Amino acid sequence: MELDELKILLNQKLETDHLLRSEKDLADLLSQKAQSIYAKIKRSLWFEIISSFIIVIAFGYIGFTSKYQSINIYFSFFTALFIPFILIFFYLLNKTNKINQSNKPIKENMQNLVDLMEEFMKRYFQFTMALIPICFTFSFALGYNEKDPIPAIDHAFEDYNITKGFLIGFTIGYLVALTVGVFYFTKWYLKKLYGNYVQELKKYIAELQEQA
Amino acid sequence: MAADKEFIRLLKEHQKIIYKVCNLYMQSHADREDLFQEITLQAWKAYGNFRGDSKFSTWLYRVALNTAITFFRKEKKTTHIYTTDELPDIAGSGYDPIEDQTKAMYAAIGDLSKVDKAIVMLYLEDYSYSEISDLVGITANNVAVKMNRIKIKLKEETKKYLATA
Repeated sequence: MELDELKILLNQKLETDHLLRSEKDLADLLSQKAQSIYAKIKRSLWFEIISSFIIVIAFGYIGFTSKYQSINIYFSFFTALFIPFILIFFYLLNKTNKINQSNKPIKENMQNLVDLMEEFMKRYFQFTMALIPICFTFSFALGYNEKDPIPAIDHAFEDYNITKGFLIGFTIGYLVALTVGVFYFTKWYLKKLYGNYVQELKKYIAELQEQA
Repeated sequence: MAADKEFIRLLKEHQKIIYKVCNLYMQSHADREDLFQEITLQAWKAYGNFRGDSKFSTWLYRVALNTAITFFRKEKKTTHIYTTDELPDIAGSGYDPIEDQTKAMYAAIGDLSKVDKAIVMLYLEDYSYSEISDLVGITANNVAVKMNRIKIKLKEETKKYLATA
């Protein structure tokens, strides 16, 4: 038998196996926690917002309380840098909400969210990678121009008899290791927070677009 | 609030739509309950944007199917194969070829992909290809092509289920 011949019976089957809920039961459900891909992405964005807040507070505290000028400038600069980041996360949260709650067709909704998150992940990755040389150059410049000696660093030079050649070699090695580490960590982090969900949505979009 | 009451009243009236979607997409009772909750939540969040351009039932189908497709369960990597024994018996005991056919067809629908299930669901509700196209966001021609392919697949799978029963 074909699908059309069984339409009524199939509809009956789909309507069975449940107890109808009262208005009170339905009202109670409205305060529960969501689990859709949209909700997971929003949770990831909230995680980033909270993390950024903690970083702003911690960096701000170091920036304002350290007695070394180089550390003051360095941490204050990054405190200021993280504030627009928080605003971007709120903007994304708002956009995700709008997409999720829109009355557009299913495929269009999914495509809009994928486009938004892909652009965000691309920019996030580029920005993180660009920060490495900026941080390095900035910290070197600040350290070089620091008026007050920093005992921990000065002692390290004396105690371990660090030569100029070793310092240059170590710095290059550290920079390379940091770049490679940040590269893979950021890829993994973005995939974990957003990429897996974006892939899932792309799979459904591809299936919808697919012609027999 | 008036919006809360109005929404809950409409939802109560149309809750069978959500049950149908849950029964189609989830196998275990617990999963169906979770999906029911998720759809209810999403519908409530999206209700502010519902302007009555379409019927509430059509709007609810859109929200319910969108949520069911994107309902994320990490542990559920494998597709569940429905067995005919798991299905509710509406015709009572005894041999009934139509009942067996229905059970087998129901089981075959359960094996479809999330996207195909959404199209079948709307088709069973007598939505036209054009209406399905508006809801899902693909062309009516694509819906027709997909529906054709799904029907052939369901016919073959039903035969397999009946042969193994």
